[in-house]
Amino acid sequence: MGHAAFGQVMAAFAASPRKAGFFTAAEMGTLQTVVDVILPATDSPAASAADTHYFIDLAMAACASAEAQKTFRNGLAALGKERFASLAPEARVMLLKTRASADMPLPYDQSFFKILKDYTLTGYFLSEIGATQALAYERVPGGFQGDLPLAANQKAWAL
Amino acid sequence: MSASNQFDAIVVGSGISGGWAAKELTEKGLKTLVLERGRNIRHVADYSTALKDPWQLPHNNRATNADRTDQPIQSTLYLYDQSTKHHFVNDLEQPYGQAQPFTWYRGYQVGGRSLMWARHVFRYSDLDFAANQREGLGLDWPIRYADIQPWYEHVERFIGASGENAGLPQLPDQILQPPFEMNALEKHIRKQMAVKFAGERKLICSATAVLSREHNGRGPCQGRNQCARGCPFSAYFSSNGVTLPAAAATGNLTLQPDSIAHSLIYDEARKRVTGVRVVDTATHKTTEYFARVVFLCGSTLNSTALLLNSRSSRFPEGLGNDSGELGHNLMDHHNGGGATASYSGLSDRYYRGRRATSMYIPRFRNVNKREEKFTRGYGYEVYTNRGSWTRGIDSADFGADFKNEITRPGEWSLYMEGYGETLSNHENRMWLSPEKPDAWGIPKINVSMKYRDNEKAMAQQMMEDAVETLRAAGLENIQGFNREVTPGSVIHEMGTARMGRDPKTSVLNAHNQVHAVPNVFVTDGSCMVSSPTQNPSLTYMALTARAASYAVDQLKRGEL
Repeated sequence: MGHAAFGQVMAAFAASPRKAGFFTAAEMGTLQTVVDVILPATDSPAASAADTHYFIDLAMAACASAEAQKTFRNGLAALGKERFASLAPEARVMLLKTRASADMPLPYDQSFFKILKDYTLTGYFLSEIGATQALAYERVPGGFQGDLPLAANQKAWAL
Repeated sequence: MSASNQFDAIVVGSGISGGWAAKELTEKGLKTLVLERGRNIRHVADYSTALKDPWQLPHNNRATNADRTDQPIQSTLYLYDQSTKHHFVNDLEQPYGQAQPFTWYRGYQVGGRSLMWARHVFRYSDLDFAANQREGLGLDWPIRYADIQPWYEHVERFIGASGENAGLPQLPDQILQPPFEMNALEKHIRKQMAVKFAGERKLICSATAVLSREHNGRGPCQGRNQCARGCPFSAYFSSNGVTLPAAAATGNLTLQPDSIAHSLIYDEARKRVTGVRVVDTATHKTTEYFARVVFLCGSTLNSTALLLNSRSSRFPEGLGNDSGELGHNLMDHHNGGGATASYSGLSDRYYRGRRATSMYIPRFRNVNKREEKFTRGYGYEVYTNRGSWTRGIDSADFGADFKNEITRPGEWSLYMEGYGETLSNHENRMWLSPEKPDAWGIPKINVSMKYRDNEKAMAQQMMEDAVETLRAAGLENIQGFNREVTPGSVIHEMGTARMGRDPKTSVLNAHNQVHAVPNVFVTDGSCMVSSPTQNPSLTYMALTARAASYAVDQLKRGEL
């Protein structure tokens, strides 16, 4: 993608209301639920509040290998079969834990859970909400102070 | 020849060396044409991604499959992402041959790689300049530290570098602004090293062409550590932000982007080069430009290719290639050996801002004592930070507790890697395939280079010394590594038109002047005779300024 396409991609992501391009509506439903199990609302908003599932829809289509894309779709389908979005919160956690133990030994492109973690965390923590509310972010820090006491409520820097 | 094509000087290339040649020559009154093969990038105005937040960049700054298709080599660089990719070439449009794997990272634009460089600026010492002669390896440098020392000063005063002088003979003291502060872990390591190594191994803040204080209306650094996007505060040194504006201010500069130097025009009767044949990248038309002196600053492989492609009956094997050494003796540094570690203490300390440089451990091998397994040495770049959200990617955990944990600063971690000298070797080389011209009629460049026994033995010791240093400093979970490195990947390619005293064994003399063609100077990395451990750009700048001063002197005397 050439540099000139920046604007188009940004415009696509900024478009409101959101519309998925890569995943089906059913897949998006599962995805929205699962990203909030990974990163639920705490003292900062949940992953879906930062449109992390829409980030994944765009970024996975553009950035992931064909094998990873296939692994991810199959993983969503497997969760869909279990009616993941309709399960009670505890049952969602149990199911995802089982999936994590099965997937952690696998290589990245074959591991639904690893791909899910990668895209969910990147999508959320580098979003405006994630970077500025869940983490600390300064676009222009104004300089460098190397050695400061850690304040009790200090969040980690996003970058 | 039309008057508009006539200049006093032509500089090929606008990167680190070309920018310096332009500044020095124009300030000495020469009407100077700077030819740049790539597009123009105006300082600040064209730094299109400089102030973007991650969420304002496509895919939160991730490279796409399409990027990796167009830039299969460039996209492997640690710097490559959505915010920097436009500063790197399209590999498909700019192919080169790899007889052995060679990673060539390139930036074809005004400013060249001075836009994306890592900004470390160390001087070489006589331990470096005299090494080949002392050991009977390669060729002796025709200069010593005393010859270049005033030019290091000249350059440092102008570029404005920050950092710490180590006070070691092998890493000469420099003119530096105060260093950026060490973080708590670095202070701890520095203290421990002082106790355990009695001054033989030291941790210092790297000398870096990043301003910690305001300098000539530039800077200081605002702690973004996004230099490779271009700096809106002019806080790091680039041609675009520093030398080219100085050259333009003289009124003597003509900067011409989108212009590929095809070959040099040689006058057999006068035994001088009279100008440069230039291909317009858009129209593919060739135009000739003329000057009394020509500086080649197109980066090592391209400057050498330009000489090799300038054939005449006097120079059938390439201009200035009486020695047969043109294209040979290609070097790069190697950085395969190092270590990682963590530290569970100092959990009550943090930092603010993103420091745009590393810490450094200057060379300590083969300084006072001769090693048996290898000659020469290495210095380490040391990077430390506290864990960020990225530590959550590879974990099996998720949920509210997980989110709370990874949004707090994690444990300290450290990464260090050695940068070692590569010995010059005739078999490490580049050559042209005239039968395979690119879209602009320029022959394809081929490269064959490999690291050999001395580099391999050194890399093993690099790893062992890194582990030993971190153990002594009390770090935890120390993991040494000694990984395979592809030549070129340190982006310090150099040596293919080396300096020397004897025209039979070298291409350039002690003033970077082609032995047999005195009005051609080559002052980028191709002039290097050896590849000391330190980063080379400061030396290119100093040699360029020194050669420019000499060239103007010689012009005035009518010698060119």
